[in-house]
Amino acid sequence: MINKILIANRGEIAVRILRACHELGIATVAVYSDADRNAMHVHQAAEAYYVGPSAARDSYLRADKILDAARKSGADAIHPGYGFLSERADFASACAAAGLAFIGPPPEAISVMGDKARARTAALAAGVPVVPGTDARAHLSDAELTAAAADIGFPLLVKAAAGGGGKGMRSAASAAELPAALAAAHSEALAAFGDGTLYLERLLPNARHIEVQILADREGNIIHLGERECSIQRRHQKLLEEAPSPFVGDDQELRQRLGALACSVASAVGYANAGTVEFLLDEDRNIFFLEMNTRLQVEHPVTELVTGIDIVKEQIRIARGRKLSRKQSEVRLGGHAIECRINSEDPYNGFLPSIGTITTSILPTGPGVRVDTGVYAGYTVSPYYDSLLTKLICYGESRGEALLRMRRALEDYRLIGVRTTIPFYQKLLDSHRFMAGKFTTRFLDEDFHVADKPPANPRIAAILATLVAHRQGQQTAHILQTNGRDTSNWKWVGRWERMRR
Amino acid sequence: MKYTTSVNGITYQIEINSTHQITVDGEVFSVDFESVSHQPLYSLLLDGGSHEAYIEVDEDGWQVLHHGDRYTVTVADERTQRLAQLGGMQAAAGGREFLLKAPMPGLVVSVPVANGQPVEKGDLLLVLESMKMQNELRAPRAGTVQRVRAQSGQSVEQNTLLLVIA
Repeated sequence: MINKILIANRGEIAVRILRACHELGIATVAVYSDADRNAMHVHQAAEAYYVGPSAARDSYLRADKILDAARKSGADAIHPGYGFLSERADFASACAAAGLAFIGPPPEAISVMGDKARARTAALAAGVPVVPGTDARAHLSDAELTAAAADIGFPLLVKAAAGGGGKGMRSAASAAELPAALAAAHSEALAAFGDGTLYLERLLPNARHIEVQILADREGNIIHLGERECSIQRRHQKLLEEAPSPFVGDDQELRQRLGALACSVASAVGYANAGTVEFLLDEDRNIFFLEMNTRLQVEHPVTELVTGIDIVKEQIRIARGRKLSRKQSEVRLGGHAIECRINSEDPYNGFLPSIGTITTSILPTGPGVRVDTGVYAGYTVSPYYDSLLTKLICYGESRGEALLRMRRALEDYRLIGVRTTIPFYQKLLDSHRFMAGKFTTRFLDEDFHVADKPPANPRIAAILATLVAHRQGQQTAHILQTNGRDTSNWKWVGRWERMRR
Repeated sequence: MKYTTSVNGITYQIEINSTHQITVDGEVFSVDFESVSHQPLYSLLLDGGSHEAYIEVDEDGWQVLHHGDRYTVTVADERTQRLAQLGGMQAAAGGREFLLKAPMPGLVVSVPVANGQPVEKGDLLLVLESMKMQNELRAPRAGTVQRVRAQSGQSVEQNTLLLVIA
């Protein structure tokens, strides 16, 4: 029985899981680091326990401290969210050993899918094609990888064996670019995962990244909840997702084939709970297995909106040992949903992370708008964690309506204090290729720039800037006047410098 | 007060006639201009048209974010313009130093430039790891690298001086 859940995560996803628990009447326990004492998940949970210093490796990645907090609080289950400990088989095993239900798949399924080579073998065995590449388990040296590259062919991707989320990943268009790609991927993989092992994979030209959400109970029933389009990526980091995929469109045969392949991959590893099978589709609609994410995904809300299924509640239901709430034939897809990941990054300055205190946060509301957020006015964005602040998800009867809603909601959102990617999405939604749904995984990196189109209204910008400059000039003049009586030489110099600015 | 304002290569002559009236290139507008709760967020009613923008100042001028577009705007009043004309010779000869400071706390991954090295606008100066990302800090203009203070492997606080482009 599950009556109290500890959420081993932070940010928007911790808040998302809290919501499901509260709706189900399940007691909640949060954990937090030094930097997160005032984070939203701590405020909203019924209980909260301190687990260590700000750096994730000293707090959210410390399985021992998380289990300690679970014991202290009397929680009977742990939800790992995404990232952190969510895809660590040893943590799932440790939970079981401590008598706690792990709200996720069995440890064996995590370890197979966490190992790229075993995952590929499992997919092939289930009859799902994989992208040509080297064996991630082989621990090949740079020289061996370079030799193998010739057989695989260019362009190719250098990937971290322990990787995920685009970290430790680089592309090389030719043999000349390979050494730099290997070096960069090495250091990034080492920093992110403590393991610099790399492997190579053919880069499919004009590929789409399309993934399928699956749910599996412990009795071996597996269903899929349709696909998500995730081709809008910057340096292999997803930025915008939608369901259904405009590329799959009305091709129900392709949709069913994707779903069936995802279910057979999950079945091959004895999967239970929610999971996502990622595929690459080439121009001719050939399907290649990419990887399986054995956890809740950042982009799960778009699937929730088009199916009406609360995936987090399903996860808890499955962890309680119950059957899936519905059969495949009872899953109905309707309408269209889009998610924008709003990061604290400056899209006009190379997506450089931005930190600081959020001074204003006015959320967009109204028909078809959902916001999954972990921040509020007064919250300070620290440099320790992922830059994802909030997710804006919009629903419409058609893709067109969802897009227009998203455009309206982005305009309504007031998030001040840090730079955010909101303006980037406003520009993206105006791009014709995005509107037409004609984009591949390379679109953002190669064909789209945030400052592409000439800005619409330079005269308004000129008037606004002039009014602000005028106002500041008036204030400066006022300060100078009040100090005007005993003008020392130093003050005079200061005034002169101010004038020259 | 008269201002000469430039944005995207277009120059506007803007005169502030009063708190509620301005003239832009000879055309008169009624204005109502407010800052929103002491934030860098401003609301402008221009002949009834409602506009909202984030406006901040930096080395290059006024940065205006309006409907997802970012504009870099330079504003000069009459006095500044006269001074600029007088000081124009000096400015052309000198040119200000650019101080590359850490935009956030992080770990210096690499510094691919050395003291005395000439760089072009957009050249990679330093890679800083923060928020689990490798961030490439690039030269905002051409110049010569001086006073390299950062080395790879070093942890830096926000606003730490990393190097100078002169």
